[in-house]
Amino acid sequence: MGATFYLQLAIAGLAVGAVYALVAVAIVIPYKASGVLNFGQGELATMGAYAAFVLASFQLPYGVAFALVLLGGAVFGMVIERLLIRPIANAPAFTLVIATFAIGLAIKSAVSVRWGDTVFSVEGPFGDDPLLFAGLRANPTSLWIVFCTVAVTALLTLFFRYARTGMAMRAVALNPEAATLMGIRVHATYRWAWAISAAIGALAGLLVAPVVGVNPEVGQLILRGLVAAVLGGFTSIAGAVVGGFAVGLIETFASVAVGSTFKNLVPFIVLLLLLAFRPYGLFGTREVHRV
Amino acid sequence: MKRLLLWAASAYLVLTATAASAQTASVATDQILIGAFGPISGPAAFLGLAGRDGAALAFKEINALGGVNGRKIQMQFEDDAHSPVRALAAVKKLVEQDKVFMLMSVGGSNATAGTIGYVKERGTPMYVSIASAPEVTYPFARNLFRGATTEAARYGEVYAEFLASHYKAKRIVLMTSRDEYSRNEGDATVTKLKAWFSIEPESRLEFNNGDKDFTSQLIAAQRANPDVIAVFGSPPEAAIALKQARDLGLKQPIFVGSAIVDQGVIAASKGAAEGVKGFALIPMLPGSKHPDMQKWEAAWRREYPNARAGRPSIFDALAYADAYVVVEGLRRAGPQPTPESFIRGLEGLQNYRVGPVASPRSFTAKHHIGNLTLSPVEVRDGNWEPVQWSSTHPTEILKRYK
Amino acid sequence: MFEQRFVWSAIVVAALLLAGAVLGSYPAYMIGLAMVNVIAAIGLNLLVGNSGQISLCHSSFMAIGAYSAALLAAYARLPFWLAIPCGTALAAGVGALLALPARRLGGVYLALATLGFMQIVQIALEEWSSVTGGVRGLKIPKPELWPGAVLTPFAVYGVVVAGCVLAVWTAHNLMHSRLGRELNALRLSPHAAQALGISLARIKLTAFTLSAAYAGFAGGLFAQLVGFIDPNEFGISAAVRQLTFIVVGGVGSLAGAVLGAVVLSGLPELLRPVREYNDLVFALVLLAFMLFLPHGLVVLWRAALAGRLGRREAVA
Repeated sequence: MGATFYLQLAIAGLAVGAVYALVAVAIVIPYKASGVLNFGQGELATMGAYAAFVLASFQLPYGVAFALVLLGGAVFGMVIERLLIRPIANAPAFTLVIATFAIGLAIKSAVSVRWGDTVFSVEGPFGDDPLLFAGLRANPTSLWIVFCTVAVTALLTLFFRYARTGMAMRAVALNPEAATLMGIRVHATYRWAWAISAAIGALAGLLVAPVVGVNPEVGQLILRGLVAAVLGGFTSIAGAVVGGFAVGLIETFASVAVGSTFKNLVPFIVLLLLLAFRPYGLFGTREVHRV
Repeated sequence: MKRLLLWAASAYLVLTATAASAQTASVATDQILIGAFGPISGPAAFLGLAGRDGAALAFKEINALGGVNGRKIQMQFEDDAHSPVRALAAVKKLVEQDKVFMLMSVGGSNATAGTIGYVKERGTPMYVSIASAPEVTYPFARNLFRGATTEAARYGEVYAEFLASHYKAKRIVLMTSRDEYSRNEGDATVTKLKAWFSIEPESRLEFNNGDKDFTSQLIAAQRANPDVIAVFGSPPEAAIALKQARDLGLKQPIFVGSAIVDQGVIAASKGAAEGVKGFALIPMLPGSKHPDMQKWEAAWRREYPNARAGRPSIFDALAYADAYVVVEGLRRAGPQPTPESFIRGLEGLQNYRVGPVASPRSFTAKHHIGNLTLSPVEVRDGNWEPVQWSSTHPTEILKRYK
Repeated sequence: MFEQRFVWSAIVVAALLLAGAVLGSYPAYMIGLAMVNVIAAIGLNLLVGNSGQISLCHSSFMAIGAYSAALLAAYARLPFWLAIPCGTALAAGVGALLALPARRLGGVYLALATLGFMQIVQIALEEWSSVTGGVRGLKIPKPELWPGAVLTPFAVYGVVVAGCVLAVWTAHNLMHSRLGRELNALRLSPHAAQALGISLARIKLTAFTLSAAYAGFAGGLFAQLVGFIDPNEFGISAAVRQLTFIVVGGVGSLAGAVLGAVVLSGLPELLRPVREYNDLVFALVLLAFMLFLPHGLVVLWRAALAGRLGRREAVA
């Protein structure tokens, strides 16, 4: 009985953590590439969720909707980068942060105005009947989310290690001047960074929509995503993913241990303790600006 | 370019100052100006938008029939963004600039509570439709009235009786959201369970608005082996919790608080809401197949043809009913209404309601609690339908107004 | 120069008081709220603008100031001119305590640490309901000059005006003091500042403490102005809103903090006619500010000053 209980909780924690991982990855990529912290990342997930809802009303097969959301997210990310980020690239850092926050707020307000507060539901790709195995019950959509997160992580790792654009992005992140001298088009890599980040953000929304419903508050994910990203060191994809799963598990188990009042605090407390002893997070590199 | 921006900035400042101090025309002799406020932006916009539209529909119908004693009703609505600070600003504007005859609140508890000190001082009559803030009705203030929503303690009385007599429950688990409304419901229910039926809940679990996973709470509830699980919170969380409860194979019946008795929960929980019971402030909910509700919804849709999903909601119906109550009070105040005669007009109401889609209102000179009725409903075939049960335990709410 | 500033300040104070008396209680209330925002923005600018430290818990210090001033007035019957300074001191103390570990962090790490602190304060306010009223909020007793002498609404407004002027004055003096120069050095180049022997740890601690003090002061005034507070008023939305004040106004500049707070406080009122679309319009206006005035409104202000004062360099 004891083992089943903890395993059941672990499944829930991993499912929840998988979404946090995706959001964390989406936050880390443009930060690593161009130093911009996207405060509107949560709303990209909101858009992905509403896109899932709208596409579902056209009776499209899940695979088509999946691809469309990824594509649409990428395009949206590129548009944002070109129209709203690039013009103020030389502005003070805070201007960029508030600009991304304003974009997020605009998306959330627009969505609220158009669809109101109603929580819409969408079907998961494999239905809603829980799978039963070894005395445990798991929602197939949750398992699908975990699978997707792992797949995305693997693809991204390969991309950054072996694809030309991926390697170019890493070069730009390390040293933009040297990269330009090497012939890398820096602005193109920024666009790629935003495209990938927005696509992953939208994907997170699409994946989580069958489980939590579609409403304007989906964007609250960003708070957990940030904690996950920092936990993971904020400059590494693998770290963000591990951070995401960690936050999910910590939250779920903390809920049992300390009740829901404090369960939101526990990831922060873990984070603060970690920062005291390992300021670069679990996987991070020397970026902390400790003075 | 800079010069242009400078001009724009100056114009902006002038505009803002003008906006803040513009005086609208005083109340004309052929109309009565009612100032209404509630959240139409922010996370609680569903409340204020529905409240505004429901009340506006009622006033329009009344004006079409000639108004009240020859006067047309004009409603000035202000946003309070669900914040007591903004609500006070809205009320000050309505009272001092627009010079409204009375105030109507379709907003939330904290926002309304923020205005009470000021409204009590000014003496402007205020009718509170949806907020459950206790200060509206206790301590007693002559110019404050509560309409559709009943007292928090009344929820506790009715819920406790229902849990004990309808479910015949001896073991109860509560799952409460940490927001004010849900906590009030939960606390009131626990108090009455103990006082009237000597039942102590097996456990009280909590969750936050915004939580997306309730596995730990649901497993804990399951282990306590209750006869019924009572969930007090908001529709989005309830929908997820109901789905997860089904996923986990929970067998216990689930009872929900009034905020969750909402059409949206049924769709969002994908069938997991079947059999869930709760109480509503009106005898039938929008979406019901009852012909009276269908007729009312049709009238609503004629007025608001571009409505989005989930509308009309229960808040449309509540504000609609309360607008009629307010107008009935104005009618009884006579051809030259004053705040005093309006207050006395309302206090004369006994079981007044505009029609079968509303619940009855009664006020006296001693208390201004308009509604003590709660109607039990359950989810049957994807809709909230009435349950045959009525409360027999006498209420203790009015004891402190003797 | 001092006399000129003194005269200008006196004129502004007189104008504000006159406006409050003549326009009525509703405009006075809105102006009062704007001035509270100015004080908070000034404090945040001290921390964020000068030392590049991002703080997402500024609203929590405001909460500490507001709740403690309110509780001292309610239970210890302290007059407002004791309660508010006590609240300010308490907020400053907590700020110092937080700064001790937090000053070693920077950038996004500090942002998250302050976010965590804000959540802790929120939960404390919500759960300790026997003291704070919890999620249901707290009604503030009317401020008193001495026990029994209640302030009129206009007097409350006057106190807020005085508080705002005091805040602007002290901030201006701070920025032109040695501390201000050290903070400026820190902003321009932390490494050079260190090389000059400036103890960055000490400065950050000071900046944190002072910014918390301003926030606490703003909170105390806020509480007596609105008469009712709840934890929601001091959460993440408020913290981000305060950040937008200084970014729109111009990070690192006192005039910027004042401008940004005034402009963005007035914006919701201006957007009343837009009704339920006001959040969307607000977001778009904010975005426009970022795109067209990325260095803040203070750029216009300085241009105006330079234009009027001739070629003289205007630094505000």
